[in-house]
Amino acid sequence: MTPGRRRKLTYDVHMSQTLTVRRGPALRLTLGLTILAALILTRIVSPPTGEAGMADAVRDFVTLSISVVIESLPFVFLGIMLSIVVQVWLPEGYLLRRLPRNPLARRVVLSLLGMLLPVCECGNVPLARGLMARGLTVAESMTFLFAAPILNPVTIITTYQAFGWDDGILLSRILGGFLIANLVGWIYSRHPRPESLLTPRFQDTCALGDHHGQPTGKMRRSAVLFTQETSAMLPALFVGAGIAGLIQVGVSREVLVAMGGNPVWSVLALMVLAFVIAICSNVDAFFILSFGGTFMPGAIVAFLVFGPMIDVKMLALLRTTFTAKTLLQVTLVIGLCSATLGLAVNFLV
Amino acid sequence: MNQWQGVLLSLVGIIATVWLGITGQLGLYIHPRYFVFTIIMAVIAAVLVVVAFAVVPRPSDEEALLDTGGRRGRWLWSAGSVLIIVAAVVALLVLPPSTLTSATVKQRDLNGSASTLTQAEASGLVGGDYAAFTVRDWSSLLRQGAGEDFFADKTATVTGFVTPDKSDPENVFFVARFFVSCCAVDAQPIGIPVYYPGWQDEFKTDSWVTITSGFKMNPSAISDEQIVLVPDTITPTERPSEPYVY
Repeated sequence: MTPGRRRKLTYDVHMSQTLTVRRGPALRLTLGLTILAALILTRIVSPPTGEAGMADAVRDFVTLSISVVIESLPFVFLGIMLSIVVQVWLPEGYLLRRLPRNPLARRVVLSLLGMLLPVCECGNVPLARGLMARGLTVAESMTFLFAAPILNPVTIITTYQAFGWDDGILLSRILGGFLIANLVGWIYSRHPRPESLLTPRFQDTCALGDHHGQPTGKMRRSAVLFTQETSAMLPALFVGAGIAGLIQVGVSREVLVAMGGNPVWSVLALMVLAFVIAICSNVDAFFILSFGGTFMPGAIVAFLVFGPMIDVKMLALLRTTFTAKTLLQVTLVIGLCSATLGLAVNFLV
Repeated sequence: MNQWQGVLLSLVGIIATVWLGITGQLGLYIHPRYFVFTIIMAVIAAVLVVVAFAVVPRPSDEEALLDTGGRRGRWLWSAGSVLIIVAAVVALLVLPPSTLTSATVKQRDLNGSASTLTQAEASGLVGGDYAAFTVRDWSSLLRQGAGEDFFADKTATVTGFVTPDKSDPENVFFVARFFVSCCAVDAQPIGIPVYYPGWQDEFKTDSWVTITSGFKMNPSAISDEQIVLVPDTITPTERPSEPYVY
């Protein structure tokens, strides 16, 4: 922000403080409940069944997008609630103080944090934002974000149920996810100006959270954080769901599946599939298993490692926090690493 | 407006989720194992939304400005916010809930991808209670390549939606279901081929039917399917409350 704008801004704040007439809580609550009632009424009077005169492809686009929203929303809420707990209810530094001092060991511990917080990857984004607002570095938060969905008890159990110890799929997934997340963390820990990796909007949120305009009372601060975080995450989730739905309708899965038998192409095809399908890491093992024996093990590993870290929905959610350039770099690094891992499994195991 | 965008979108999502739950239609979008978690989180979030309405103060203009990156960006930003909210209301609260259609079957290679059972499970089916077999069980056995002899004396009673066979759409259709492992996004079509020349005259694609029939070698010369159901009659039926299989 330029100094000029900062001055103007301060001026505006002074003006607004004298001009704004604060509305009472009772009025706001009434207004809120009225909106609630109006939305419920909309659902009740709208047709419960029928085709609404849409072409099949359009209907499926809507169904698929809704499905992403309904599936992810509870996890995003859970992530936001955990983020509120970390920022408001836990004593300052409760988590961060317990982390090792050495940066490398710190990132290793953070990448295992997912073991304690079995949240789906979309819930990790608000949590990582909360941790960053509390002092976690950008590189450390990235390590957490990319490791947690894989190094997560639910994910490990479902992967084991799906594949057992076959072809080293389970081990490659766990070790690969751990190494790639820590590699990304290490790369960005060497960045000279890590704050430039973040969107200006999120930088401001962090700055504001520190000292300015903090309402008093934990309940009130929680409510403010809830409105802030939902305002950041939900538009991204809804747009991400729309894009995911659109790609699903547009891209034929048959083409991807057809490449399944080739040791090189199958790896790339399944990474593309992981990218467009945007499925939760908790169940992606079952999903890919249901394709039966059509895919090489390395391709499955690439799917299981790349998908939880990067997909359309995750990129939309991450964009609330990181700049587009950063996300492009991260996608390239993780993509190359996953592809290498997949090819190695195909040719070595 | 911008401050309340998240709360409004939360409300839309919460109401849609709870309404789908109450009317028993959550299964159109997600796997049943998530029902309880999804409803609980929706209720907790609803409480937070109401609290937010009551206690969150009006944003100072400074925050509002930071939010939008200045006055010039504000117009465009607000238009985008409104658009997202309107789209969410229309998709989640106005349009009727619906299952996936044959348009998605076409995109996702019927049976080509999903046997949905491992070999071991499929062989476990042999000798089971054939009367209770679902579309999923039969399609697994067919895909596994159990021979003509195996199917010779078996009768299947299955319910699914009608979707045309690619190789011989005139005479053969599939009675199909979607197999879901997480949510509708990963749904994979599975189905049993049915030989019934002129089926288009009686049944619309995507309409639901129940079929009781034995298996035979496929009389169609050009269809890729080898073993098919050859029913005498097909009963139209309502879409079941759980249209997907798990």
